[in-house]
Amino acid sequence: MNPAGVGGHMSRSRRPRHETGGAKKNLENPGYILEMRNIRKTFGALAANDDITLKVRKGSVHSLIGENGAGKSTLMNILTGIYRPDYGEIFLGGRKVNFRNPQDAARHGIGMVYQEFMLFRELSVLENIMYGFEEKKAFGILIDRKKSKKKLEEICEKYHFNIPLGAKVADLPVSMLQQVEIVKVLYKGADIIVLDEPTSVLTPQGVEGLFDAVRFLVASGKTIIFITHKLKEVFAVADEITVLRDGKVTGNVRCDGTTENALANLMVGRDVTFGSGKSVHEPGVKVLEVRNLSVRDKDGVLRLKEASFDVREGEIVGIAGVAGSGQQQLVEAVFGISRAEKGRVTFLGNDVTDAEPRDRRLMGMGYVPQDRLGAGGNAAAAIWENSIMGYHISENFKSKFFLSRQEVENFADKVVSQFNVKTRSIDDKLSSLSGGNIQKLIVGRESIQDKKLLIVEDPTRGIDVGAIEFVWGKMLDIVKSGMSILLVSHEINEVMQLSDRILVIYEGRLYDGGAYLELDDKEIGFLMTGGGAA
Amino acid sequence: MSGRKSADFVIRNFFSPDVGISVARYVISFLGVLLLGSFMISLQGEDPVNAARLIMKGAFGNRVSIGNSLRWAIPCMLTGSASIIAFKSGVINLGIEGQMYVGAFVAAVLGWAFKLPPALHVTLCIAASGAAGIAWVIIPALLRLFFRLNEYVTTMMMNFIGTLICDYFVVWVILPGVAITTTTAATPTINKSARLATLIKGTSCSTGFLIGVAACVLVYILYRFTVKGYELKQVGENIKFARTGGVNVKKTFAAIFILSGMLGGLSGGIEVCGGYYKYVSGFSYTMGWEGIMIANICNNHPIGLIFVSIVWGALKTGAMSMERGTSLNRLTVNLLQMLFVILVSVNYEAIYGYFRNRAKKARDMERFLAERKES
Repeated sequence: MNPAGVGGHMSRSRRPRHETGGAKKNLENPGYILEMRNIRKTFGALAANDDITLKVRKGSVHSLIGENGAGKSTLMNILTGIYRPDYGEIFLGGRKVNFRNPQDAARHGIGMVYQEFMLFRELSVLENIMYGFEEKKAFGILIDRKKSKKKLEEICEKYHFNIPLGAKVADLPVSMLQQVEIVKVLYKGADIIVLDEPTSVLTPQGVEGLFDAVRFLVASGKTIIFITHKLKEVFAVADEITVLRDGKVTGNVRCDGTTENALANLMVGRDVTFGSGKSVHEPGVKVLEVRNLSVRDKDGVLRLKEASFDVREGEIVGIAGVAGSGQQQLVEAVFGISRAEKGRVTFLGNDVTDAEPRDRRLMGMGYVPQDRLGAGGNAAAAIWENSIMGYHISENFKSKFFLSRQEVENFADKVVSQFNVKTRSIDDKLSSLSGGNIQKLIVGRESIQDKKLLIVEDPTRGIDVGAIEFVWGKMLDIVKSGMSILLVSHEINEVMQLSDRILVIYEGRLYDGGAYLELDDKEIGFLMTGGGAA
Repeated sequence: MSGRKSADFVIRNFFSPDVGISVARYVISFLGVLLLGSFMISLQGEDPVNAARLIMKGAFGNRVSIGNSLRWAIPCMLTGSASIIAFKSGVINLGIEGQMYVGAFVAAVLGWAFKLPPALHVTLCIAASGAAGIAWVIIPALLRLFFRLNEYVTTMMMNFIGTLICDYFVVWVILPGVAITTTTAATPTINKSARLATLIKGTSCSTGFLIGVAACVLVYILYRFTVKGYELKQVGENIKFARTGGVNVKKTFAAIFILSGMLGGLSGGIEVCGGYYKYVSGFSYTMGWEGIMIANICNNHPIGLIFVSIVWGALKTGAMSMERGTSLNRLTVNLLQMLFVILVSVNYEAIYGYFRNRAKKARDMERFLAERKES
């Protein structure tokens, strides 16, 4: 329960502390308010949480960091009662608990502030906050607004929140809404408050305000779990840090005992297990030119800011970055899936900024999406149907109207045999293949089509070592034949192994990551977590 | 195909869990309907076996009954293929009923108001009914493509607008003009030249049956053998995949709407030119909706649709015979048909998958615990 070297950490904290009852008690007994032990949760073949242990001290800010897909959300969904773990136990204040549902977790004092606000836009702040937890009158039939309001005002005063209770949510700015969300969990009696990437929607000033609120809450005896992937924030506000990667805990450190570099390494750094055998050669003429490209996501948030870069013939340009830094918007705008807010994309000398994916394909652009069973493949369809996508609009089939089974078979067999896709028959469903084989099929389909430029997203995510080596080898072969590749990957090692030039994306901006092997993985990891932005 | 290869093909395709599940789907549904149907009929004091015998006799007992069964299969095939095109490609066309009415009305008006050579006249009427169906679906299509308005709602609204507008024209424009007094709102009978030829003598089975079969076969060919059909299928199954793969999604969507609406309109035109010989208010008795159900039963397979349609027509004819021979109401048969639709629509794959996943998870957990113990 209380491993060595833990005692007295409060005194080492760099933060000024308000001397409140909660903090005092904590000094005497620095025990864990929350322990999640050996948590495991699988979805199909994927172990989203694999033996995760998280211990959180009362009255501290505990930061949970990791890339998208590392298992943070799953772990928090278990904590808040949305999922039940396959294995493992949860202890609250030393007592074992078993949450049946989210309400149950809320009753035990666990509150979560989601990244996407869960508010009714057309209702007032008061109505939003008391929703589901209204004070009642007249034998519990009617809502006692006055009493609810009074309770809420007390909370706001106690925790120094200044929010207009009568205002309509739709009229308030984002930073205010976040405060509403925090007050909402306080109103419900939360002792442990989980903040899921709370700064992603805030301006720098808003972030400062949030941090002040967090410090004050902790000083008042609350415990905060702070989820993020921005390391600067971790150092600004956290006491302790747990790092997740691929569903496992890779580190559990105290904030004052580590550095940004070390954390970046725990979070994104992969061991260089094998080399790709890349040879560097002179790139040719410009194939793709991107200038000042800015893109908003579906919610209207600017995710890509003024990106400019070129891709030349025969080279691989790699874009490294922590997931969610704007890669998706970059790729979607370059391939024409979503519209650019600003800027220009030129492909082979033609302005294609507003062209549909179909037009870009016909001009010689190919795309290997990250999302294998979304944009990349149709799980419900046969392997042959997946093999000819994109090829079917080219001039290569004799008839524009009838699909010749012979021609389809020829092309599908070519993909399957050249890219070593292990399947019994091209009539089998795509869903019968393993992830690695689906990936080989998609890379094969796109590269056999004789394109000028391939946009490749996370080509080896979640596939086994053999398939990784195969896909890497094929990509290097492809550029030797004069094709170019724009590689976007969350695997820093992959980008470093394959790219002639590296760009690093952080918060929607591109930073120069040097030529092949110019910077080491620590330096690039540093850029990926905001090291170049300061 | 070599012997070994074809044997492999048979094993892979007919003994796979997929096929096992679809066989189970029909067997379970059929047994369920038999069980419940027997219960319902017994409850009313009748013998279920006798009722079933009367249905069979009424549907296939002689030439006339076979002809009538086939006649009622015609609208099923057309509205069914209209549904299949839409559903296979991810469009929810709930407006087939309205497209059918508009098609019927246009065919009835052209058939009555003009005198043309026979072959030309009937062709014109049928073609015009298809065009009317397209006109009726184009509004929801445009709303969907340019304003992202869900076609669930718009196609459904167009049903009411369609049926009511047609009735309006019949009652307030056409009937006063010809000065006929009728009890039902109907147009005057169409000219002989606008009628489809009878296929089976002495019955109401017209050459519309051939058009229905042709529609099913063409839909089959479209999806099975053409580039466009390939694109239609991909758009329906995974629109993101289709778009990134270079399919012009907007154009494809427009094509789906147009084809589906055209078949809906044709079904109305054929009812007029081959069945009623006039537009009668409320003639369809929800035939447009039945197409959606039948498409569901045959799992959106156009060739399967031909057979299901014939069964559907046979039940309709047989139910009338059962009504004559027993004290049962033919709505009993309707009820059982609907029950069959519900049972067939159960997602048996998901149920099977749920239990398989649970078993897999249990095995996975066992292995995990064993590994923990070792370490």
